[in-house]
Amino acid sequence: MTDTTSPVTLSHTAAATPIAPGRTPWKQEAIGFVLGFALLALLPLIFGDTYARHILIMAFIYAIVASNWDLSLGYGGVFNFGHLALFGIGVYAYSLLTKLAEFDPWIALFASGVIATLAAILVTIPILRLKGIYIILVTFGFAQLVMQVIISQSAITGGTQGLVRIPGLYVFDHNMVRDGKSAYFYIALALLVASTLFLRVFVRSRTGASIVALRDNEEYAISRGVSIVRQRMLTLAASAFFTGIAGAFYAAYQRNASIDVFGMSLATIILSMVLLGGTSTIYGAIIASFVLTIFAEWMADFGAWRPMITAVLIIGVMLAYPSGLVGMIKASWGAVAGRLKRPA
Amino acid sequence: MSALAEILFGGLFQGSLYAMMAVGLALVWTTIGVFNFSHGVFMMLGAYIAWQLVELGLPAAVAFPIAVVVMAGVGWILQASVVRPLIGRPNIVLVVVITTLAAGSLIENGALTIWGPRSKQIPALITGNTTVGGVGVSLHQIAIIVITPLILAALCMFLNRTRLGLALRAVAQNEDASHLVGLNVTALYGLAFAIAASLAGLAGIFMGGYRFMSPVMGSDPLLKALIVVVFGGISSISGPIFAAYLIGFFEAACSYYFGLYWTPALLFGVLILTLMVRPEGIFASRSRGLA
Repeated sequence: MTDTTSPVTLSHTAAATPIAPGRTPWKQEAIGFVLGFALLALLPLIFGDTYARHILIMAFIYAIVASNWDLSLGYGGVFNFGHLALFGIGVYAYSLLTKLAEFDPWIALFASGVIATLAAILVTIPILRLKGIYIILVTFGFAQLVMQVIISQSAITGGTQGLVRIPGLYVFDHNMVRDGKSAYFYIALALLVASTLFLRVFVRSRTGASIVALRDNEEYAISRGVSIVRQRMLTLAASAFFTGIAGAFYAAYQRNASIDVFGMSLATIILSMVLLGGTSTIYGAIIASFVLTIFAEWMADFGAWRPMITAVLIIGVMLAYPSGLVGMIKASWGAVAGRLKRPA
Repeated sequence: MSALAEILFGGLFQGSLYAMMAVGLALVWTTIGVFNFSHGVFMMLGAYIAWQLVELGLPAAVAFPIAVVVMAGVGWILQASVVRPLIGRPNIVLVVVITTLAAGSLIENGALTIWGPRSKQIPALITGNTTVGGVGVSLHQIAIIVITPLILAALCMFLNRTRLGLALRAVAQNEDASHLVGLNVTALYGLAFAIAASLAGLAGIFMGGYRFMSPVMGSDPLLKALIVVVFGGISSISGPIFAAYLIGFFEAACSYYFGLYWTPALLFGVLILTLMVRPEGIFASRSRGLA
């Protein structure tokens, strides 16, 4: 990327990053990244009431979970249907660490990410040899197993009743309750920034390129020396860390934990976000999380019609733009740009 | 004696329902190469249509076949609207997951709006109870145990003996060659979905006859059917059928000895182990790769 004058020698230098056609230069992306998140940081100035901020905090949490899922599902091509279990593990790890082991909430938050990562490594072991639909089953089975264990150990985990009065996060002596949720808003935003930065750097790196190579042409990638075992484990572990932290933050923010996080409905919502946004983009999943969360609120008056309207819209977008919202934005941007250029 | 009879009977009954669901799922998966996540909703819709027809005053003997035929139409329409336009696209497997999930959500919420959340029940195939080997069972369940193998046998006959069935299998095995010999592949895709939907609808009618119906009644059977399909492998139609009964017996034995609570966990544990040893399913031949 630094030495664009000699693309032939580029592929031979070990440190060089592979350049895909149509890839956004990193400076351009960095500017967009900073501008986009700066805009999000200014939102509390516009939305003063706590309810609007609550919706935005939920959108940030969903965005972290969805964009991390995009890493394993979109880039890795691994049909990991146990992604929400990693989120749930984060929720329960935080809850139990703070409530029973009385850890400091911030340490528990970090530890939850580590625990989710370890769980992801554990679930990768049985799927190393599997492909496609079989991975769906094993990862789904893993999610069910985790849920069953939590239900059956009700003495510790509260079982189907869940856990309440989980310690929240703190920032020095700041009052987290009476600040109109602005502290939680900025913590959630900071987590989203960190997660997105991590994901984008990861997928732009050589490791990211090798994961995409494995997805697109497994035999060729292996013949070029890419280890499927190591890369698949790395992909799932990388997608788990911030998912676990998002789960921990969710528990700290809601102050309770329930097994609903393992249910199909939440998994379906998050999966819609990943696919509606457009896979293998990271940003697509984040945009779709905002769109779907705000859209769901906006349509609250429609009651029973809401899920139906959402379903029709999802089908419509997917049929017209199979590459999702990002594809739609790119296509409309192309049309606008084409129209601007034509008179000249 | 009573324990054995209970496990045997429970396994046969659950296995019958799983087989009806799984065969349709496997048919769609082999023919089109996509996984239909609205299959559970087909089951629910079939039961509700049958209930509506019975409520309108039709006798069950007329209402049930009509519901099954209507379901074939629903399957065809769903295929034409959310699956067919995507065929040939590179990421079809993932995109179809979300379009069928969304279509399922649409139908599920539509059923909730039309018929309401109150539980309903459709008339049993045969009313009455009897005792077999010391276990009290309803005649409805016995009817299901008897009828299901007949339907599955008829399906096997159709797929192996008739021209249309062979054409369907040809598309499943080699789509390009099917195009070359002049088969109407698009119509056969629709047919696969129609058969799958009517089988699911029939399973829903069976289930609605002994358990209360609700708009979400299809989600658990869909999950079980997915397990059955993966467990049995899909290189032949008999694989999922054997697997369905095997899992039915396994579940019945587990819930008898370990309780209902641990059955799903044990089932998934055994499945993960099976997949690690034989990723292509226990009844599959190694000859055909299934990615």
